[in-house]
Amino acid sequence: MNLQEFKEKLFHIGEQQGFTDMELYYEREEKFACELYKGEIDSYDTSEVFGTSFRGLYEGRMGYAFTEKLDEESLSFLIENAKENSQFIEDEVQEEIFAGSERYEEGSYYSSSLAEVTIPEKINLLKEIEKHLYAYDERVTGTDYFMLSSSETERVLLNSKGLNLSEKKNHAGIYVSVIVKQGDLVKNGEYSKFTRDFSILNPEEIAMHAAEEALSQLNARSAESKKYPVLLRNDAASALLQTYIPIFSAENTQKGQSALKDKTGKIIAAASLNLVDDPFLEEGLLSSNFDSEGVATARKVIVKDGRLVTLMHNCKTAQKDGVESTGNAYKASYKGALTVAPTNLHVIPSDQSYAELLSSLSEGIIITELSGLHSGANTVSGDFSIAANGYYVREGEVQNAVNQMTIAGNFYELLNNIEAIGSDLEFSMGFMATGYIGSPSLLIRELAVTVE
Amino acid sequence: MLSQSVINDVITAALATGGDFAEVFVEDRFTNNLALQGGKIENSLSGRDYGIGIRVFKGLQSVYAYTTDGSKEGLLKAAGNAAQAVRGEKIIQPAQLQKEIIPAAHPISLNPREVEKLRKVDVMKKAYEIAKNYHSSIQQVTVRYLDEEQNVLIANSEGKFVEDRRVRSRLAIQSIAAEGNQMQPGFYGPGAHKGFEFMENLNLEHYANEASRIAVTMLGAEPCPSGKFPVIIDNEFGGVIFHEACGHGLEATSVAKENSVFANRIGEKVASDVVTYIDDGTLANEWGSITIDDEGEKARKNVLIENGILKGYLIDKFGGRRMGMESTGSGRRQSYRFAPTSRMTNTYIANGKSTPEEIISKTEYGIYTKYMGGGQVNTTTGDYNFAVMEAYLVKDGKIGKPLKGATLIGNGPKTLQLVDMVGNNLDHGAGMCGSQSGSIPVNVGQPMIRVSEMTVGGTKGGE
Repeated sequence: MNLQEFKEKLFHIGEQQGFTDMELYYEREEKFACELYKGEIDSYDTSEVFGTSFRGLYEGRMGYAFTEKLDEESLSFLIENAKENSQFIEDEVQEEIFAGSERYEEGSYYSSSLAEVTIPEKINLLKEIEKHLYAYDERVTGTDYFMLSSSETERVLLNSKGLNLSEKKNHAGIYVSVIVKQGDLVKNGEYSKFTRDFSILNPEEIAMHAAEEALSQLNARSAESKKYPVLLRNDAASALLQTYIPIFSAENTQKGQSALKDKTGKIIAAASLNLVDDPFLEEGLLSSNFDSEGVATARKVIVKDGRLVTLMHNCKTAQKDGVESTGNAYKASYKGALTVAPTNLHVIPSDQSYAELLSSLSEGIIITELSGLHSGANTVSGDFSIAANGYYVREGEVQNAVNQMTIAGNFYELLNNIEAIGSDLEFSMGFMATGYIGSPSLLIRELAVTVE
Repeated sequence: MLSQSVINDVITAALATGGDFAEVFVEDRFTNNLALQGGKIENSLSGRDYGIGIRVFKGLQSVYAYTTDGSKEGLLKAAGNAAQAVRGEKIIQPAQLQKEIIPAAHPISLNPREVEKLRKVDVMKKAYEIAKNYHSSIQQVTVRYLDEEQNVLIANSEGKFVEDRRVRSRLAIQSIAAEGNQMQPGFYGPGAHKGFEFMENLNLEHYANEASRIAVTMLGAEPCPSGKFPVIIDNEFGGVIFHEACGHGLEATSVAKENSVFANRIGEKVASDVVTYIDDGTLANEWGSITIDDEGEKARKNVLIENGILKGYLIDKFGGRRMGMESTGSGRRQSYRFAPTSRMTNTYIANGKSTPEEIISKTEYGIYTKYMGGGQVNTTTGDYNFAVMEAYLVKDGKIGKPLKGATLIGNGPKTLQLVDMVGNNLDHGAGMCGSQSGSIPVNVGQPMIRVSEMTVGGTKGGE
């Protein structure tokens, strides 16, 4: 059965069964991923999958069900399960099926030149990168993860109020983790780059970034455990921001899981901080013209000069707070429940370069990598104590890498302790990411650093 | 799920360009996910995942193609896509498929698909009431309920043809205690390879009260000091430390390419004498248990470290090729969307001889961690980190004031040598483990243990 046919039948049965408003959400993805190891293709994955979810109002309550089979059996599976599921929903504000926004942006986030890049060209890029990696330094001995992936996704939202939206996107990315050895010492360093423009993936640069990241860890030493001024390099800053993005969701303030409840209009950060969610960013991987409920997306300033301007909303959270949806309804996939998430969200860069921030440090720590963010950061209280890697700085110059350490503090306090913001905006895509998050390097007045 | 003749055609097509092994994995999974917030059901989601993964090996090259299109044409197209990556002439004929019946090692008495959702909602509401009423400072309680029935069929060019049904249930309770500007969470998430009988027999009082007790205790806790201390890690989910510090480093994923700090060290002393570390997928109905793995191999008990000596690794078929070793029944994957790789099942430190009381009374000054959060490891360097959910200061052999915001960091091989006491109260806790083949259910376990020195990162600063 094709999608249109499936929808017609589904809505017809749904109506007979007592559903008033209904929605069918469809996603289709084609993916290619390839790992290279010492000149040989180590793994090679191709896929073509789709899935669809049904959402419908039954006796005034919203029921959900999903399936990956478009057959007769699935029609009754979706209707029966959505009906049963709707009966337990007790929230005082119900979700709604959205009739449509007045206008939608018409941005295109599909690159046909990327779609034309062939598999041999992609594999060749990996081979080129690998060649440069081993040529860069004789201490490079291998990779523990080295892959290229590309994907093309299509999503369609159809509902009984006549909304019919669709969008197609694609992107490609490289991830490399390189191993270096010096005597008995083994370290690794990683670098990744995701883009819609294949031509910017320069093998020599990618190899250099990854190799340097690993090699710089070889002279790691201990340092005194104490409070230091900390320069969060752009990639570490965006990873930390990524972890704490949920505090800007109205769903979390309403559930008592964010301290930003009732803070709209108030100062929550240093005056230098400006945060924007921009769904129309040309290079943004999560750029989109409509959100997961079909609401038109919009560029919005979330923090202006340290003041919280708005939280992110979907229709339901907006209704609870008596405001309009900000077009931030989000589903992790067609399987997921509706929640709230950013699109391309970033800190606005200043005109101070990374080198200038570094030279302003008389003594401090640069953080280049954070790990264990999923467990070491408490998004409810804002407290964090996270494993980190980085460098020791004295008189404005990097002295040496530092052994594994932890940085500890509180994110709400950190927002107020931003001393300076760099010009080097960089985006990161975490593996469990909800949002494409960017930040320049951030100079933080003080964090507790414990060194192994 | 699919007929033998269709599968035979798919395997034949996958081998057309010179592959020396081909495998078909069919999955049909039914899930129910419910979420309760503030006493009210907020989400109730049901769904069906269906897809097929086709894998081809040629020497040390592995190709994987997956699709949701279960028609013969769709499958042959996916097999063709996989075969396209292999260059050469056809070299083998697939063996005749032999259907093998493997009795379910973890019997299910009440299939959740046959249980009315209202009964599931009742369990959630009971858990909510208990957790909410624990203390006046409990501001918010979230209860999540999950059940799933995963039906799989695994067939390969060696003639294997097996089916399996995995039924799992889990309840996750999160309490948040609040006072002034302070908010602290507490969590407990018991799960099992069982049907709804798991929920009916679950000690809700215990789990719901514990989630709230942790949150309330941490609300009154002081910031954890940082520095190097002896650390006592309690039993059950405390075993997450070895899951990170050592378990991942013993997987073929990192051992096969000799990247792991544990590569080429079988027979060597890698831990202190008191450490015996086991991965056992056969434990009856445990969350991480399996009847067969996702390559169709029977689950087994694998002794990884015995009295400090490295005995073995966790090996999947492909990792085994590079290592020249047999599979250990450890090939696992989240779904048909992932090629399987070596993963853990129920992994634990075996009981030692000390009693928990003895371990605490023999510790002059240190940190006692009652419940752990999650963690992460870099298997190449062995550096790991994990978060502590509930910690206390130990002074003069007694447990003292509660501490919040503690993170433990260290190096796996070094920590293994520093385990100086192992208790006799082994227990297991349920968790989800994320790695290359996706997120899978695993148990971590241990009795209470003591590490003579660990680096503790806290918000309070040096001591």
